[in-house]
Amino acid sequence: MTTYFVRRLLLMIPTFLGVTMIAFAITRVVPGGPLEREIMQLRLGGVTSGESGSGSSSVFDPTADMSSEALEQLRKNFDLDKPGYVAYFLWLKKIAVLDLGESYLKREPVWNLIVHRLPISLTFGLSGFLLAYLISIPLGILKALRHGTAFDFISSTLVFIGYSIPGWALGALLLVFLASGRFYDVFPLGNIKSSSYDDIPSLAKSIDDVDNVSDEFGTFEWERLSFVSKVIDRVYHMFLPVVCYMMSMFAALTILTKNSLIDNLGQDYVRTAFAKGISPARVILLHTLRNSLIPLATGLGHAISVVMAGSYLIEWVFNIDGIGYLGFTSIQQRDYTVVLGVLVVNTILTLLGNILSDFLYAMIDPRIRFE
Amino acid sequence: MASIHHSADNAPPRPLLQVRDLEVAFRVEHGLARAVDGVSFDLAAGEVLGIVGESGSGKSVTALSILRLIPDPPGKISKGQILLDDLDLLSLTYDQMRQIRGNEIAMIFQEPMTALNPVFSIGMQVREAVLTHAKISKAEATDRAVGMLEKVGIPSARRRLHDYPHQFSGGMRQRVMIAMALVCHPRILIADEPTTALDVTTQSQILDLMLELKHHESDASIILITHDLGVVAETCDRAVVMYGGKIQEVGTVQQIFADAKHPYTEGLLASLPAMAGPRDEQLYTIPGNVPSIMDMPSGCRFCTRCEHVTDRCRQEEPALHEIGDGQFVRCHLLEPGSKPDSG
Ligand SMILES: Nc1ncnc2c1ncn2[C@@H]1O[C@H](COP(=O)(O)OP(=O)(O)OP(=O)(O)O)[C@@H](O)[C@H]1O
Ligand code: SF4
Ligand SMILES: [Mg+2]
Repeated sequence: MTTYFVRRLLLMIPTFLGVTMIAFAITRVVPGGPLEREIMQLRLGGVTSGESGSGSSSVFDPTADMSSEALEQLRKNFDLDKPGYVAYFLWLKKIAVLDLGESYLKREPVWNLIVHRLPISLTFGLSGFLLAYLISIPLGILKALRHGTAFDFISSTLVFIGYSIPGWALGALLLVFLASGRFYDVFPLGNIKSSSYDDIPSLAKSIDDVDNVSDEFGTFEWERLSFVSKVIDRVYHMFLPVVCYMMSMFAALTILTKNSLIDNLGQDYVRTAFAKGISPARVILLHTLRNSLIPLATGLGHAISVVMAGSYLIEWVFNIDGIGYLGFTSIQQRDYTVVLGVLVVNTILTLLGNILSDFLYAMIDPRIRFE
Repeated sequence: MASIHHSADNAPPRPLLQVRDLEVAFRVEHGLARAVDGVSFDLAAGEVLGIVGESGSGKSVTALSILRLIPDPPGKISKGQILLDDLDLLSLTYDQMRQIRGNEIAMIFQEPMTALNPVFSIGMQVREAVLTHAKISKAEATDRAVGMLEKVGIPSARRRLHDYPHQFSGGMRQRVMIAMALVCHPRILIADEPTTALDVTTQSQILDLMLELKHHESDASIILITHDLGVVAETCDRAVVMYGGKIQEVGTVQQIFADAKHPYTEGLLASLPAMAGPRDEQLYTIPGNVPSIMDMPSGCRFCTRCEHVTDRCRQEEPALHEIGDGQFVRCHLLEPGSKPDSG
């Protein structure tokens, strides 16, 4: 099994190279990149200092009034003077020591930008992810056991309606209906917590009154409840985005669980288990479910990449300052070092997710483990 | 219809298991398919009873009915009684039935490949059978499992407890199945084509093992389902021949092999390699195919393929009747008063 995982780890390398190579190439050929921006800034700077009265024709050619040495220097800064593969390998060399470069716009190391935002994104992504598994698996089991009933039919319909709406679109809908105040105003419009925990008024205040009445008891209660209310505040802010993350995986997981369980219930080993006199609950929840989880475990890597991809738009819709939001705004602003940095982190996380799912697969299915 | 109790003088006083007028129907697209239709037979304590017949004759459905393992839907036991001693299994509650399964009556299946759960160790699966029915500790259950696995011939059984089904050969897996079935010392072992999926050498090893365990260990009665009369000859005391969901002939192995009366049984015997004459002679096969249970002919079920068929056979269903000393046949030719066919 060790050789299996070593092989999988090694296979990460070509995948990683492929993904980054394509992205790198795109950043070099798509117009409006950092070089053009820099030139534009220099030119505008020139305008303000009054050196450019010469001609309106140059409006269409930003390089026209620049010295060729200055241009060459700029191209050098962005490695644009070298052939693509050389530039890529130079970039790769830096990546290898976790030097993701500096943001053109924010003038800050990309690594710092990402490290600060990653925990936020992971919190949302993983919550949605766990919630999807926690709800889909029992729902899938129930649907399998009630296959063909009204419950099965209605839940399938709902699941597929949910499936056909992308997470970010659902997010926008939920915000309009539940948070904008135009219809209802039960959830916040965005962010990840109230601007200050002290804003959580009702509970804290009433507990303060209690505090006056009974000291030692009250203090203890305040501490506890204040934590609880912090948690509630978090959940309150996280609820809608997490629902959006969840919906992006929910349908596939539910249907996969159901089909896989039905498939397994028809297997010979189930009949053997019943013939032993085992209770139906044990047959289903132990014998059959363990086998049914195999496709769910293998789908885990894919689910992680769905979360990663979903984060760009969902974080943008909910105004969550995570790496998805960072990636999305950086694409808009052509801040390519950040775009590539986010891509590197996402790719690595996705590939690790794939390995994790292989690992779970091997844990569940001994036929893989002992190969 | 005729009763098939053993005649009073040479049989044990009361059979261990009595199947009475069993009827099992499956709901299919165009109505009900009666896969088992009025089957009755007895199983005496310590007896090995064979059930033979071509594919689709209702052998497995009969066996599964005894443990009430017919998938419902689409199947249903629509009629009959299955008496274990005096207890009608068909009248038990689900939980009472669970006490019977694996404990009083155990079953092994044809495909040792798929009959074991691929994701649990064999130790867990055998131990689970013990723990389902005995209130003992895990350690004790493990000891019993090891003991049983040794008896069925798994080398270094204790070391192999943690191994998974895919790490065993087909024959070894079937040995594990047998251990799992016998570990609670059931009174009846139902084996549904236990050797069909195995190669010839392994087949006879498994059959020998079952008989040996029966003689020296469990003394469980055995119902052995097979489509191979040769297997019946080697292992059984009595045999039930089924065709089209009905019993066609019942008798001791001697009666069946030396003095088969039913044209279908004769056909099965004639198609046995050992029974056919010289090697180069082509093996006999019963002409035609088994009709699907959805379009069974009226009258005798075998009439579409029988060499002795008469008009009466096509119109009137023959009854199962005794032709002497515990041998029963369902055929018009052999009814009292009818003359042997001269054609
Ligand atoms: N789950 C089911 N649904 C519908 N029909 C069934 C089902 N199980 C069995 N039958 C029908 O019952 C009939 C008898 O099947 P059974 O499995 O008892 O045959 P068998 O004698 O065991 O044959 P084989 O040698 O192939 O195992 C078959 O014709 C089959 O079509
Ligand atoms: S009843 Fe007629 S068709 Fe049926 S087995 Fe006897 S002779 Fe053949
Ligand atoms: Mg069968």
